[in-house]
Amino acid sequence: MHGSHAPGRRPELRIVAVLVTGLLLWLLSAPLGAQQPRTGGTLTFIVSAEPPSFDAHREVTFALIHPARPHYNLLVKFDPLNYPKVVPDLAESWTISPDGTTYTFKIRRGVRFHDGSVLTSRDIKASYDKIIFPKGDVISVRQGAYTMVAAVEAPDPTTVLFRLKWKSPSFLQDVASPWNWIYKADIIEKDPHWYERNIMGTGPFKFVEYVRGSHWVGVRNEDYWVKGRPYLDGYRAVFIGNAAAQVNAIKSGQALVEFRGFSPPQRDDVVRTLGSGATVQESGWLCNNTVVFNSRHRPFDDARFRKALSLAIDRWGGSTALSQIAFVGPVGGLLRPEGPFATPPAELEKLAGYGRDIAAARAEAKKLLAEAGVPEGFEFNLLNRNVEMPYRYVAVFLIDQWRQIGLKVNHVVKETGPYLADERAGNFDAAVDFNCDFYDDPDLQLVKFLSVELPNGSVNGLNYGGYIDRTLDRLYDEQSRTEDATRRIAVVRQFEKRLLDEKVWQIYVLWWKRIIPHSTKLHGYKVGPSHYLEDLQDVWISE
Amino acid sequence: MARYLTHRLLLMIPTLLVVAVIIFVLVRVIPGDIVELRLVSGGSFVTASVIEAERARLGLNKPIWRQFVDWMSGLPRFDLGTSMWTAAPIAKEIALRFQLSLQLAIMSTLIAVTLALPLGIAAAVRRGTWVDHVVQILSVAGLATPSFWLGILLLLFLLSNFHWLPPLTFTPLWVNPKANLLQLIWPALAVGYRYSAVTTRMTRSAMLEVLQEDYVRTAWAKGLAQRVIVIRHALRNAMLPVVTVIGLEFAFLIGGLVVTEQVFNLNGIGKLFVDAIARRDYTMIQGLLLLVATVYIVVNFLIELLYVWLDPRVSYG
Amino acid sequence: MPRVYRRQRIWLARFVRRYPLGAAAGIAILGLTALAGLANQLAPYDPLANDFGTMFAAPGARHWFGTDAFGRDVLSRVLYGARTALLVGFAASLVGATIGGIVGVAAAYFGGTTDLIIQRLADIMISFPIIILALAIVAILGSGTFNLIAAIALSFVPRIELVVRASALSVRETTYVEAARAIGARHWRIVFRHMVPNVTAPYLVMLTAFLGQAILLEASLSFLGLGVNEPTPAWGLMLSGAAVEFVQRAPWMAVFPGLAITFTVLAFNVLGDSLRDALDPRLRT
Repeated sequence: MHGSHAPGRRPELRIVAVLVTGLLLWLLSAPLGAQQPRTGGTLTFIVSAEPPSFDAHREVTFALIHPARPHYNLLVKFDPLNYPKVVPDLAESWTISPDGTTYTFKIRRGVRFHDGSVLTSRDIKASYDKIIFPKGDVISVRQGAYTMVAAVEAPDPTTVLFRLKWKSPSFLQDVASPWNWIYKADIIEKDPHWYERNIMGTGPFKFVEYVRGSHWVGVRNEDYWVKGRPYLDGYRAVFIGNAAAQVNAIKSGQALVEFRGFSPPQRDDVVRTLGSGATVQESGWLCNNTVVFNSRHRPFDDARFRKALSLAIDRWGGSTALSQIAFVGPVGGLLRPEGPFATPPAELEKLAGYGRDIAAARAEAKKLLAEAGVPEGFEFNLLNRNVEMPYRYVAVFLIDQWRQIGLKVNHVVKETGPYLADERAGNFDAAVDFNCDFYDDPDLQLVKFLSVELPNGSVNGLNYGGYIDRTLDRLYDEQSRTEDATRRIAVVRQFEKRLLDEKVWQIYVLWWKRIIPHSTKLHGYKVGPSHYLEDLQDVWISE
Repeated sequence: MARYLTHRLLLMIPTLLVVAVIIFVLVRVIPGDIVELRLVSGGSFVTASVIEAERARLGLNKPIWRQFVDWMSGLPRFDLGTSMWTAAPIAKEIALRFQLSLQLAIMSTLIAVTLALPLGIAAAVRRGTWVDHVVQILSVAGLATPSFWLGILLLLFLLSNFHWLPPLTFTPLWVNPKANLLQLIWPALAVGYRYSAVTTRMTRSAMLEVLQEDYVRTAWAKGLAQRVIVIRHALRNAMLPVVTVIGLEFAFLIGGLVVTEQVFNLNGIGKLFVDAIARRDYTMIQGLLLLVATVYIVVNFLIELLYVWLDPRVSYG
Repeated sequence: MPRVYRRQRIWLARFVRRYPLGAAAGIAILGLTALAGLANQLAPYDPLANDFGTMFAAPGARHWFGTDAFGRDVLSRVLYGARTALLVGFAASLVGATIGGIVGVAAAYFGGTTDLIIQRLADIMISFPIIILALAIVAILGSGTFNLIAAIALSFVPRIELVVRASALSVRETTYVEAARAIGARHWRIVFRHMVPNVTAPYLVMLTAFLGQAILLEASLSFLGLGVNEPTPAWGLMLSGAAVEFVQRAPWMAVFPGLAITFTVLAFNVLGDSLRDALDPRLRT
């Protein structure tokens, strides 16, 4: 008996074999936490507006990013699954000089444009020259963010150098901007406007067609430099402007997702219809609504009046209520409440208009109104954009809040064009404004609060209120050059206190909340705080 | 008479030219700056020099008369210029959407006429009876209901009961007739209902007028065979105002279905209009207005042709 | 004077007897106007007051028509909305019809080049759908109640001008006018004594016809976000935005304003039809 090793003859071995086989089978058949990505399928998604041109260096709308970004790569990018980590894209690694003024990027080899030509550092230098030092009538809307760059060099085909005039702590994140698409140098040299109406990139998807008013189609780049990507055979961006139609498209399964954000009732509608076939991802959003006061008009030149207007607003109550019907919600100060620079609630509540006791705040507001000599029933205009979500909701809320301290507000709604014209011309009393950024950075978020005329003589065109506040200018510069994170946050707090509590030149109403309900068939997508960062390279769909 | 019609045909050209001039003037009255809208709408800042450069590129800094000449000189070649928003040729942009709008207009007209003619005639012939009352109520109600409301209800009905919605994108009829019709039948129904209300009323009243004529009354008294012959004649005469109404409403359907297109998410002329006005895309607005005016003028001409065929008494000496 | 009043009263009595539906519609409109005028007294709540504690309340004892997304009472908003609707409707139709009437009479009376130019212009303006004209005018003037009235009124002018001109033309060649001219009567006298009475009928008919259209146009433009602005209560505005988004959760937000529009436009249409039948058989439809 002991001599023979045939398994059938040894009951113990038999049992072990069965157990092991059973274990193996169970392991293989059990639904794994992370499914294996499936290669194949076409993703249909919704974009609620259409791009005016195809050149990201000159456009500011998500309507270009969502359909066209998949055709391009960046030098470095934000990790789509791990914001705000910066990961390699066309640059495979980088080094920063000890004094922080030279950034050296090592460029990958073997990357090809969709027409077959090879990408070298020359293409990257040409693209960044177009962004930072545009020539002639070429427009680069983000030029102002790169004033610290002295030059961009390409010493050899696989190296790109950025020489900075001064040390800039967030330069790497600036380079990771989702708008800095890498174009082909030859094309830029021949015709710098070519990219406004044409597509030629190195990205995971090739351009197929764009039927205006209808759809944008991309197909897999079979020679993509990331092996095994993209998973999708292709994608189809469908342009639907009407909110109800967008929801209907997802409810009927004709589209799987919309990458900007839905309102809570839209989300509920989708979930109610699709049931377990829908997933909802929510996150904070790097967008908010503010109110700008025109300090050239009386009594908006009186800080007491401005402060009263801020005190009258029940931000906490409004947040609870409005977050049910619109995609606004988080209460915050100058920087995103869920971000790395957020003011802790205890400190936030000390600022004017952020207290929890709204009755006391409104009483103080009425006192300030009397002090400032503003009579009961005083009328003024609130300028707003003709966009439903969330501008109309925010305006109705604000008008009612101010009604409760005895002010009468006229709601003036204009199309985006005339609205912007009025803002820049100072043709308003108070205006609902908005900010959207791709990264949590005081440099980005605070720049519009600088004085309308800076000490060096340059004009801040984003200051619609027309005020001059040297303290704010000084604090901004200070925080921009402070390396120590704790110290920097302290300076930003001072800036916030001065702006929101003492002078109240502008106020924050509420930050936005990003809600993305999508079909469970969509995988590999993680919602982030910016709708400009969407990236289809690693996304896949199941059957 | 052929001379008269040819004369009218040729007259369309100078009419269109005058229309083009008036359109240009009207459109430039609209305030607003497309360049600012393009570059600043995302909330970021652009310097004044950048805006000036862009304006130069779009030709907006040329004197008004120069822009006018540029536009007019392109018209004979059917070159409506390029859109200030997308820089794509306008003729191409319009052609894309004209297909859909035209097909929708034709389908709505067919539905409307199929409903309106029999109902209107029946109501007129059986004046005062319950048939007449029902038809009158239906048509008056059809005029009073907001059309976009009908559309919303229709989509809600489809979604709640069938969990199905019309296809999102437009496929031309000859490429995929099934997808095409499945998308357009619903807005055609919503539009056709309202359209039929107008036409029913006109049919009914026109028939009533004609039925009161002496020769009709005499034929009625004389018996069935006479009635049939005369009704056919009466119908022909009654059709003149009806055809006018159908034609005018059809011309309206090209470009006038602004809200319906929003509700059904159709990529048509109405949507293009609204977008162009919102963006202050002057050249696009001009092109669209010209298209609409042309359709109107052509339809009017066709109506006159139809008049001649319907009523031999009508002659333009 | 008393004789004139009596004549109108007799006419009114005959009208009510012959066209009971039209009379009913007329009474309905009077009732609506009364409701709108007395909205201050009748509305249970302030139509602008947000109440975040009672958002989306279903119709019940406290809120007969329920509340909307901001907790505002729908009944109060519908009542005040009647004001906006009737204001916009009446003002737009009146202004449009009057301007169209004046232009039409002038064109008919002066004839010649004036007539030709006006006709060309009117022909071209008619070829554009009313909503496009209104859209363009709103784009020029901006949104808001007053601008909306102007936009709708101006869009109606060419169509009314056409009808009034036709009526006025038929009078111009009559013996009355010839005689008056022969005597040497002044222009305005001829116009007022002979032409205006003749065009009164089509003027009134077009006025009532466009009343309903004006209200529907306001609804459409507000739906597009180009009409009256929040938080002003207006039926068309109440039908857009939140009403559509929440239609499954809170259908009353859209049902009541929609019914109000349909009912009002229906009344105006029926009254207009009856008036047309009564005043001028030539225009009967």
